[in-house]
Amino acid sequence: MNVWQSAEGRWVRADLRARRGQAALTVLAVAGIVTALIVAATLLEDGTNPWRGLFERSHGAHIWIHTKDVPDVPALRALNGVTEVAGPYRSAPATLVDHGRRVPIALQETPPVLPSVARPLLREGHWLNAGRQNEIVVEWSFARALGLRPGDPFTVTGLNGATHTLTVAGLAESGDQGFYPEWTPGLAWAQGPTLTLVEPAPGRTETVTGLRLADPAATDLVVQRAVFTLRNQVQRVSTWREVRASMELDNRLLGLLLALFGVAGLVAAALAVANATGGRVLTQVRDLATLKSLGFTAGQITRMLVVEHGALGLAGIVLGLVAGGLINAFALPDTVVAPLAPGPLVAIVLGTGLTVLLAVWLPAWRGGRTPPLPTAPATPPRGHLSRLARVAFLVRLPPALVLGARDAFTRRTPAALTVCGVAIPMMMITIGLGCWATLDDFIRHPESVGQAAPLSVRPGDLTAAEVYERAMADPDVVAAYPGTELDALVPGQTRTVRTRALGTAGDPYPFPVAEGRMFRDQGEAVAGQGLLDLLGVRIGDRVRITIGGTPLIVRIVGRVVEPEQDGEVLSMGIDSLAAKDAVPPGFYALALRPGADPGQTRARLQGQGLEVAQAVNPADRLSVIRVIIVALVTVLALIGLANLLTAIGLGLRDHVFDLAVLKAMGLTPRQVMATLVTGTGLLVVAGVLVGASAGALWSRGLIDMEGRDSGVGAGIGRPPTPGMFAAAVLIAVGAALLVALIPARRAARAQVPVTPRLPG
Amino acid sequence: MSGTPVVKAVNLVKVYQTGGLPVPAVRGVDLTVRAGEFVAITGPSGSGKSTLIHMLGGLDTRTSGEIWLDGKRADTLSESGWALLRRRKVGFVFQFFNLVANMTVADNVELPALLGGASPRQARERREYLLGELGLADRAGAAPARLSGGEQQRVALARALANQPTLLLADEPTGNLDSRNTRDVLRLLGRVHGQGQTIVLVTHDARAASMADRVVSLLDGQIVDDGAIGSARRRPGGTAGDVVELRG
Repeated sequence: MNVWQSAEGRWVRADLRARRGQAALTVLAVAGIVTALIVAATLLEDGTNPWRGLFERSHGAHIWIHTKDVPDVPALRALNGVTEVAGPYRSAPATLVDHGRRVPIALQETPPVLPSVARPLLREGHWLNAGRQNEIVVEWSFARALGLRPGDPFTVTGLNGATHTLTVAGLAESGDQGFYPEWTPGLAWAQGPTLTLVEPAPGRTETVTGLRLADPAATDLVVQRAVFTLRNQVQRVSTWREVRASMELDNRLLGLLLALFGVAGLVAAALAVANATGGRVLTQVRDLATLKSLGFTAGQITRMLVVEHGALGLAGIVLGLVAGGLINAFALPDTVVAPLAPGPLVAIVLGTGLTVLLAVWLPAWRGGRTPPLPTAPATPPRGHLSRLARVAFLVRLPPALVLGARDAFTRRTPAALTVCGVAIPMMMITIGLGCWATLDDFIRHPESVGQAAPLSVRPGDLTAAEVYERAMADPDVVAAYPGTELDALVPGQTRTVRTRALGTAGDPYPFPVAEGRMFRDQGEAVAGQGLLDLLGVRIGDRVRITIGGTPLIVRIVGRVVEPEQDGEVLSMGIDSLAAKDAVPPGFYALALRPGADPGQTRARLQGQGLEVAQAVNPADRLSVIRVIIVALVTVLALIGLANLLTAIGLGLRDHVFDLAVLKAMGLTPRQVMATLVTGTGLLVVAGVLVGASAGALWSRGLIDMEGRDSGVGAGIGRPPTPGMFAAAVLIAVGAALLVALIPARRAARAQVPVTPRLPG
Repeated sequence: MSGTPVVKAVNLVKVYQTGGLPVPAVRGVDLTVRAGEFVAITGPSGSGKSTLIHMLGGLDTRTSGEIWLDGKRADTLSESGWALLRRRKVGFVFQFFNLVANMTVADNVELPALLGGASPRQARERREYLLGELGLADRAGAAPARLSGGEQQRVALARALANQPTLLLADEPTGNLDSRNTRDVLRLLGRVHGQGQTIVLVTHDARAASMADRVVSLLDGQIVDDGAIGSARRRPGGTAGDVVELRG
């Protein structure tokens, strides 16, 4: 039987038809939240994992096989699971000579027409031209590290010692090689004749061939088959996994922040749906009682309400999915390349779906329990004028104010619901503002996240002393801390952890110590929360690590805020290391004069022939979160206002007869309106203040909790600034009062019959 | 009259708890209604007549006593059990009509039939028949709010009869109507009774009570009088004359 033709179907259809606008609002609220979550997750995934987008756009190859000679391409193509083949291309090692530095590079042959598989993505300049030899396209991250621009000279020395001056034609990105300097040597594309010019001896080049697979999960199997097929020709193989790993940012903090926002979004969705359903069911009590008298069972009514309101929520989810996909495809085509991975997508859909059903179920269950007798007229509210109210009248406060204030708190349950309906979105808005303030703090005080030194210089082929001298000669550089980063074996772990030696025990680098103290002596160290958790040690414990075969025992004297490597970093003075590891230092971290522009200083130092890297502020990586904060604050504000409207609607329904009495007592419509607005306004102010205060109190703790879980460690959270806090409170109260004014005005002017309540 | 009584109440008691104090509404009522009977329950406000009829239809729970419907014990049923029973055997008409505001007249009337398991086609045919009988055929697509009080009550009556219930319970069906509409609704009830419908009518209107075969008077929750009305005053039901009179 057609479901719409059943008794329940008829009722659902009639009810939906009778409140199209409200139903559409529910659908839109849920759709808005799902859209925000999908866009946020996609942006975050893209931001933390640029490999996916690059690989997708460049139609990359999953496996790269390096062989001495040209391999048997048809045999590789015939391998099960291989869909396309890139190359084979010749590749030659060479050295770039730049400002007195010598940097190893890999020159790779490429056709003048961009290939369909493993296609480099041109970002600046132009691609290689068959007519123009001596041109080269440089991999983008490598060019950025070296400060190369299109049109710059590019001087290479081949293995035979001959030097050739080429020109940088363009910069291109690739999904087949990691970012420099994590992935070395730096990559440059050249045409065949150019490659031959630099490396004329065929014996010194190798051949690279890329395989694109139908299923990336089959990588290991295909590698085995390829190695078997090519017998002894294979020199080495690299796969997409290594490339991806080298590009991935520390995304635990991002993941946790996304989870936090996801939960906030889901709570908002639950609130919106629960409020709409609850409000609707409350206004339908009479109809539900009638249905019961006709023979509807409680279970039938609950099911009917769950289906009706749940369907609206599910429609919202579907709409949100479509809208999220469209936004990703059309509004953000440059930033978002690959669609969201199925995992987060399924999590969002299932999470929202479950939340919607749970939020709908409670009011539906209560609706099902409606007694079958038509409701008795509500008893007049209890309550009397308090002593305070009498005093208020005596000092001639406007009666509307006093009556409104009394009204606000006479009916305790609706009052509590209104306060909660406003307070919860407000609390989440304030937490969002706290995240914003924390990001601002990262940027304003980079030293509080361990970035006291915005620049670091590597010696390259200069001596450490020369580097130190050149760096300190710059007017903006105030200190240069010698440092080195090594991998250390720690007890009980199968992998290594990062050991950062920076500054000396006597002149330590200003690490942001959150607990304990800074190291002052050789043999003392500070660690990030991630490392403390990994090793299960506490401040004051000694740990034994092995660096390059040399055992070293250090005492951890403090915990620092550590945004790198998920906090699994041990930091100490360089003089705590054995001399073989400490001399010469791997780099110098440069602290600048306050107010100095790191970009300009970097350019100057690069002009001095130094290899300078600029630290990336964690806030820049997290900048996408600001977009999400704005979107979520908007959705939350709308939900808060919707909750308020439901509360006002229900309040007016209960107040209709009080209004008649007030008018009969001689209050003007304006005074009646003022009474109503005061009644709502007081609850709103209470809700906003409670929510904002709770949010401000919790945001710091919540962000610190996120920090601790992500390994960065507690101590990064900031509450919203007082200005931001005050603005949020004022805007919320103002908007709420405006919203309250409209129904109050209408109610105050309406003719209210002073008769017994007429049902139906 | 013989056979199983349609409804039988044995020592039925209802006590409300108001502010912790027990307030008895019905105090030991014994009532038996046989098939085809038209019983009017009268009494002043607060005498417990509405409470009694609500208990007989399972809308309210009894404090003690027994209720038998069609020879089966019903007071021990759960709320769902009562709901299933009402679908098949009990039709209700209320003082305030209690039509579902969002649904059309047609949907309101078809709802109980669909609920009782009729196919949409059967429900539609039954609705068309009933609305035709009650002179509302042309209002099928209207919303209840657009109907006059008398029309709404006639729709409510059609809805109550949609499932051909064994028992029709009417709670002050004319309490909210003007005299003309009151007359129309009472004539309809009389006609339905004439077709063999068992009716229990709660009213404090003597004219309405005079339609019945038997008048039960309640005072303070107890039956103070229970007597049949003389057959001379009983209206012969279901004649053609009645229909003509109704439509007029």
